[in-house]
Amino acid sequence: MASGAIWKGEINFGNISVPVKLHTSIREERVMFHLLHKRDHVRLRQQMICAYDRQPVPADDQAKGFEVEEGKYVIVDPEELEETVPESSRVIEVHEFVSTGQISAVFLERVYNLEPDGRSKEYTALAKTLTEMAVQGVCTWTMRKRSYIGALHANGRLLRLSTLRYADEVVPAKALELERFSLSEKEIRIASDLINHLSGAFQPEKFKNEHQKKLQGLIDRKARGEKVVVLRPKRLKPTAPDKLLQALEASLKQVA
Amino acid sequence: MRTRDPISESKRASGKEEEPGSHGIWSGTISFSLVAIPVQLVKAVDTGRVSFRMLHNKDYSPLQRRMLCPEEDTIVPPEEIIRGYQTGPEKYIVVTDEELESVSPERSRTIEIIEFIDIKEVDSVYYDHPYYLVPSKGGERAYHLLVEVMRRTNKAGLAKFVLGEREYLVAVKSVEGALSLVTLHYSEEILPTEDIIPEEVKIEADEKRRIKEGINKMRADFDPEKYADLRRNKILALLKKKSREKVLVEAPEIEEVEGKGPADLIAALEESMRKVKSR
Repeated sequence: MASGAIWKGEINFGNISVPVKLHTSIREERVMFHLLHKRDHVRLRQQMICAYDRQPVPADDQAKGFEVEEGKYVIVDPEELEETVPESSRVIEVHEFVSTGQISAVFLERVYNLEPDGRSKEYTALAKTLTEMAVQGVCTWTMRKRSYIGALHANGRLLRLSTLRYADEVVPAKALELERFSLSEKEIRIASDLINHLSGAFQPEKFKNEHQKKLQGLIDRKARGEKVVVLRPKRLKPTAPDKLLQALEASLKQVA
Repeated sequence: MRTRDPISESKRASGKEEEPGSHGIWSGTISFSLVAIPVQLVKAVDTGRVSFRMLHNKDYSPLQRRMLCPEEDTIVPPEEIIRGYQTGPEKYIVVTDEELESVSPERSRTIEIIEFIDIKEVDSVYYDHPYYLVPSKGGERAYHLLVEVMRRTNKAGLAKFVLGEREYLVAVKSVEGALSLVTLHYSEEILPTEDIIPEEVKIEADEKRRIKEGINKMRADFDPEKYADLRRNKILALLKKKSREKVLVEAPEIEEVEGKGPADLIAALEESMRKVKSR
């Protein structure tokens, strides 16, 4: 297995099968902190406590329950949920193909890069076809005793698999219950002009995570015993509702 | 392997959990040019609605995550928790919230949109975690103007802002009348794929036609509810099976319980449980 491959599986639909290896797509590096007790600077440990008697509960005394009515639970072993799935299944089963763009970003969870496992001919043919047809495959599979749903998509010659969230895990925008406000066409026109003036191509390389370096700098200064000047966060004054048009006009003047 | 909401997670890790009742994770301002809109950041993902809960198997009371001082063997309240950077065995440099905010004071209370882009240009590998922004008092009109204008122009705003220990690169876009905020990965975090992509091989027209036919037979519209239903049915089947073996357990009365009550699913479950029991 090439370095980084975390799982092997086989994409399946109709009479087509494409063996693949899953690779993670992201590596995050950041300055790590630990939580300490203020009094003695002892490193703290996370502990589950009982909400009723406020005592720590060891792992052996923990159970999983599904709340059926308020405060009433069925004790279950969530792994039993996966029992219906055939054991040691390596199948990534595609159930349907949907147009690219139909799966809203809020469903996307984690992206895996797929590497062909063995022959790459069918892999490449599938990647090319998905791109040409502008479709993604909606699939399910079981990996390490967990069921996943995912979207199979192509990026150039690369196949990718995104895990998807379940619909009942996603908060729909209408649940926010936002009120509608009437806007004047003039405000909309000026704001549109402004946005168009401020538009460019997405160039991700432009954005560096400078914060990590600054954070390391802060730690180094403190390690040397230097005094750190605390700067107060800058707070912007909200634009008053009756000054909105004025602020838009002034903004446009600045950029146009 | 589930990804968690990193912003809530970092707050929880620092012992500062959200106040019950207030759903905002963060409050501040979103700005573009000279327009500043007061907003709150709220969750767009809530896995707790359909999930299993950790319980104490002695009294069936829910469990809560707390920080414990191993030295004193006591639960440490949030105001006694500090953040330290380890420099050696049991040696830490303490960094305060105020010092963290000082690292980028201009970005810790403001999501400043630097430029607007076409969201379709953002490869999905960049997406990290979704949230919503909701307007705070007085910001409603400007908020809706931004929603409406981004909808009409099909643009998303790019911004950076700092929360706790991290600086987030975010895309703000218009979704069904609301502002959706998605944290993005930095390009330096995206792993290269050169070693994975296979070499260019000649594909016969027959091969592609075979795949195309297979796909065409399976064309559909994306219906996320269908998959949620499948899972719900699995949970339901498991609960039915369980309720034959065991009765419901009841937690003792507790004054305040974290988290939310059960979701709509529960009504359906209760109904089927009743049927199971009355059999």
